[in-house]
Amino acid sequence: MLKTVHRYEQTAALLEVEGFPDLSSGQEGDTVGIVSGWRLQLVGAPELEGTRDHLEALMIAVMPYARHQLSGVRRRFGADDGFVAIAPSGDKHQLELRSSQKGVEPLQLSLDDAELSDLVRCLDRLRLDQRVPVSWNIPEEKPLTRRELVERIPFQQRFGPAVLGVVLLGFFSAGALLIPLPEQRSVDVPNTEARIESPES
Amino acid sequence: MTNTSIASDARLSRRGIEQLDLLLLTAEALDLNGGEAMLWTSHQLGLKEQFPNRVELWKRRCHNPLRRVTRREGLNPSDAESLIRLVCAMADRLYPMLHQLLSSREPVHLSRQRWGLVAERLGDLVEERLNQRRGAVLRLLDPAQNKDTHRQLVSTLALVAGPGGVDRLRARLLDPTP
Repeated sequence: MLKTVHRYEQTAALLEVEGFPDLSSGQEGDTVGIVSGWRLQLVGAPELEGTRDHLEALMIAVMPYARHQLSGVRRRFGADDGFVAIAPSGDKHQLELRSSQKGVEPLQLSLDDAELSDLVRCLDRLRLDQRVPVSWNIPEEKPLTRRELVERIPFQQRFGPAVLGVVLLGFFSAGALLIPLPEQRSVDVPNTEARIESPES
Repeated sequence: MTNTSIASDARLSRRGIEQLDLLLLTAEALDLNGGEAMLWTSHQLGLKEQFPNRVELWKRRCHNPLRRVTRREGLNPSDAESLIRLVCAMADRLYPMLHQLLSSREPVHLSRQRWGLVAERLGDLVEERLNQRRGAVLRLLDPAQNKDTHRQLVSTLALVAGPGGVDRLRARLLDPTP
């Protein structure tokens, strides 16, 4: 059986996925139900290749990273001991790829915003390609939690107003304690007796 | 698919509508013939019944509370979904330009010139269409503060370009207000 190769090209990125139709599921023609390998070429970087597991790890790290970037949340995705991890690095994105072979140093690639979006677009096309009916284990796109969004706000900006409020309240309370209270003067009330006399009849 | 249909029924917050309209304004700033291109793209997407002309499209965009002329009631979820698809399709059309703006491999002077042009066009559109008494609009017009916002808008368009970006953009617009 001949291998089928599907190409997904976007400006600085080229992803090639190869495999065979899954005959047990009734697939035929250029359908790739079983991914046997893939290659990714990014301009100015060595060619990457791997198995379906590596490709899935790439998608699991990159897609949620892109989703969080949209909301301004910059954090690392991918397990420390996994095949792929991606993290922000200054105004770029550091893609870290670990080989499954022992003794091979992890490969670090620095992507700018344009290269990241090229990669995301290639992965999007693969994900939506009906000729590759593979169920990728990618987290679904959903709104972030309030907690995740709050964490992107710098500590000073998040707690600054509250701390300033407490400090000002303490300052003015202390100031108020220093102001002497007005003396209470006792007022002598003349001891007058009111008498109501009954009107003379 | 079920999740997508549930999410597409969700109503966008005021912040979400603001962001959606700002993305459309950015697309217009990048495309000299943006208004016509937007209408043509919406027809290509099969949204002719919803947006038969520019006025209908403008009416939907007027739900943005930052607009000079604003509509108070919330944006209908099906209209919001159509506008989200429109943003992604426009971003797809403009992707080569977005890529040039975001690429660090472009010559610095050329990149600076391009960003300057985007800032100028977007500034003109913001001045023309948005209410300048709002703090958020004044920040958009302030050259000392708007660079990050411009980059974030262009970067958002690049990351949601094409049909694959629709779910991502919808999820972003449904984020709660922190």
